[in-house]
Amino acid sequence: MTSDEFSIYMSGVGGQGLVLLSNVIGSACASAGIRALTGEQHGLSQRSGSINIHMRIGEQIRSPLIPVAGADAILALEALEALRYVEHLKPGGVVVMNKRIQHPIIETIGHMKDKTAKYMSVEDVKARLSEVTDKIAVIDALAIAKQAGNALTENIVMLGALSTLEAFPVPEEALKKSISENVPKKAIEVNLKAFDLGKKAAFETLCNIVKCKK
Amino acid sequence: MGSADVVRDGPAKAFMLCNEAIVRGAIEADVKVVSAYPGSPTTEILDTFSDVKPNFDYKMEISSNEKVALETCAGAAMVGHRSISSMKSVGMNVASDSFFSLSYTGVKAGMVIVMADDPQAHSSQTEQDGRAFGPNAYVPMLEPSDPAEAKKMVKRAFELSEKYGVPVLMRTTTRVNHQSGIVELEKIDRKPFEKLDWSHAPARFTTVADTARRFKLQLLERTKQLEEEFNSSDLNLVKDTGSEIGIVTSGAGYNYAVDAARILGINPSILKLGTTFPLPRKLIGDFIKKVKTVIIVEELSPYLELHVTAIAKDANPSVKILGKWTGHFSEAFEYNPNIVVDAFAKALGLKAPVDYEAMMAKADELKKGLSDRPPTFCPGCPHRATLWALLQATKGTKHILSTDIGCYSMSFLQPLNYGDSMLSMGACMGVAAGMQYAAKEKVVAMVGDSTFYHAALPGLVNAIHHNDDFTLIILDNEVTAMTGQQPNPGSDYNAGGQPAKKMVLEDVIRGMGITDITIIDPYQAKAVVQPIKEALSRKGPNIIISRRACALYADRNKRRRGEAILSNKVDKEVCKKPYTCIRSFNCPAISIDDDDRKATISKELCDRCDVCAKLCPFGSIKLREGE
Repeated sequence: MTSDEFSIYMSGVGGQGLVLLSNVIGSACASAGIRALTGEQHGLSQRSGSINIHMRIGEQIRSPLIPVAGADAILALEALEALRYVEHLKPGGVVVMNKRIQHPIIETIGHMKDKTAKYMSVEDVKARLSEVTDKIAVIDALAIAKQAGNALTENIVMLGALSTLEAFPVPEEALKKSISENVPKKAIEVNLKAFDLGKKAAFETLCNIVKCKK
Repeated sequence: MGSADVVRDGPAKAFMLCNEAIVRGAIEADVKVVSAYPGSPTTEILDTFSDVKPNFDYKMEISSNEKVALETCAGAAMVGHRSISSMKSVGMNVASDSFFSLSYTGVKAGMVIVMADDPQAHSSQTEQDGRAFGPNAYVPMLEPSDPAEAKKMVKRAFELSEKYGVPVLMRTTTRVNHQSGIVELEKIDRKPFEKLDWSHAPARFTTVADTARRFKLQLLERTKQLEEEFNSSDLNLVKDTGSEIGIVTSGAGYNYAVDAARILGINPSILKLGTTFPLPRKLIGDFIKKVKTVIIVEELSPYLELHVTAIAKDANPSVKILGKWTGHFSEAFEYNPNIVVDAFAKALGLKAPVDYEAMMAKADELKKGLSDRPPTFCPGCPHRATLWALLQATKGTKHILSTDIGCYSMSFLQPLNYGDSMLSMGACMGVAAGMQYAAKEKVVAMVGDSTFYHAALPGLVNAIHHNDDFTLIILDNEVTAMTGQQPNPGSDYNAGGQPAKKMVLEDVIRGMGITDITIIDPYQAKAVVQPIKEALSRKGPNIIISRRACALYADRNKRRRGEAILSNKVDKEVCKKPYTCIRSFNCPAISIDDDDRKATISKELCDRCDVCAKLCPFGSIKLREGE
């Protein structure tokens, strides 16, 4: 595998805007002359189910699916969904995960029946992931998105955070241009703000543990 | 995103979903008529054609079903306009009756049918291998591997179709359709749409008996010529590395094979077949002559393996052929890079750089206790409310639920596990007819509005004519919800927002002779239980229409109009933890607060259908303040 390659396993819950996110990254790659491809999930699974998109950057990659232990990073828009696909992470790879948890309804039903049960927490997820990597950053994307002005911009907050990674080969200008072209016109400003706030959050967390762009 | 790129003039580069690239290819090929019914993984073809329609002058229908869609394209191509349809492979089952005949009659202008298989049955009822349609109907079949190739191939498909006077099948799979990549946009150079003269002899497109026999001989000759052309076509790719190992593959398999070889550090020769019917037998023979071992990488049935084995009998009898029959690959489920790496490693006595099994085992250990998250009804989904009411209305009575294809199919999943049979589009009624003869229990059939118009109408005609005793529940949510809320015959608009005649369900049904029709609004919750109960107690065939717009669709319209989407909250002072909202309603917006173990509602997820509020015995669910 050559050093210009970068694979991101993106996960979340149906409705969180993962497809938009992969379109933003992919279009940015197209305009920057970088080869990118994805394996996406549309259809049935979008109904509040677990969802994943394989985002792959590199001249020679052909498979839209990332092999087991092939992802340089997991970008999870929901914390439980970071753990669900852990086998795809390269040992020692980066995990950027949202602090938010959406409890699956079947977990809640089990919870209702067992009074002593506790939901799986962000700390639980982090502790488990730390068995395969020490590079885990938790971003409070919902709070940051609200701060940017729209709770729906969580996905772009997370992209802002990811974009700080030195190994992430897509230039910031291309990403910002792509955001402007891919979100509704009236939402461009709030999304660009979400991107910058996500970056800022990463500099305070992610960049303490992983090499970041200056 | 895609749609803007689909209309952007070339030359340029764009990042596109394969389904968008297919549309772009067809537009560059000056397609004039488009007709399709949505179905994953092809839906975005229809969506994109619909989105960009205002920019072009092609005619388009979001058809009532795949058979009508295919026939619409056939009619246009008979007259002389290029046409395209797309469908999932189970949709091709519906369309296949005309598809087979069309191979006999042929067409005048180019006609392309994109047919997508769904290995892994991500969004389908079976893992059907649609490649059988090509050889069975003698229709040429092309298979792309990625968006760039799909765009190129769809243009070539139109040319081939015109050259040989036969529709061309472009077969894809989920991991091809739902792959995005960089695509070269070429210049868009379209001629203005105009009506053409019908210039054919009488009965030109009629096939039966004597004409059918004549057509058959012609299509055999046509297939021979196509094979000849494919033997030297650049739609097939040969990479001769001089290796003793050769890979024969096509479509999605090619992508995994290339990456697997790279991961293992091997450099085999590769034959990537873009034309999978008729198979270029000379090309395949020449390829396998040069190698000692052939590994076949194809998902689902051993179609290539069967033919390569047959070709090897003369071309290279001593060649070792490894595939599904040798146990290196499975006929079940989709492939991925690690499956192909492991198969190559086993076949060639190599060691995979990663112990995938160990990685998976470690991951399973880390995931212990992690709850599954299967797809479920969205917050605000009217189906959840209808199913709740139906379960209340049938409490203590035995019944059989014959259900159908749509979002409501999810009722059989966790946590409801409700529903007894589901076969195919519109099947609920024929199945219910048989059940009411054979079973002691009350039979209930359930179908959505789009599926009703798609293939259930003949089932209802049959039930009425035979006076079959079952109650049919039609879930009318205004759109084809499952595939992304496309308009259907119950909508007053169609592709590209063009106005359309809205069919009214109860008028259609009354016109067919049923007067026992109960119409409910599922959001009324408890209030609809009694009317359902009474309808179920009457002799069938009778109808319940549960009418409420799909929540995703309604939300989109609210956002468009600038209306706020409100949410509920739990008044913790009032909540006495009966968990009614969780126990019988299963809404993903509701969870339990770990601090006080009371229910809590996510502001971000709640859609304020207000049904849970109506179910709460203590009235603790209220509109969130400030909304």
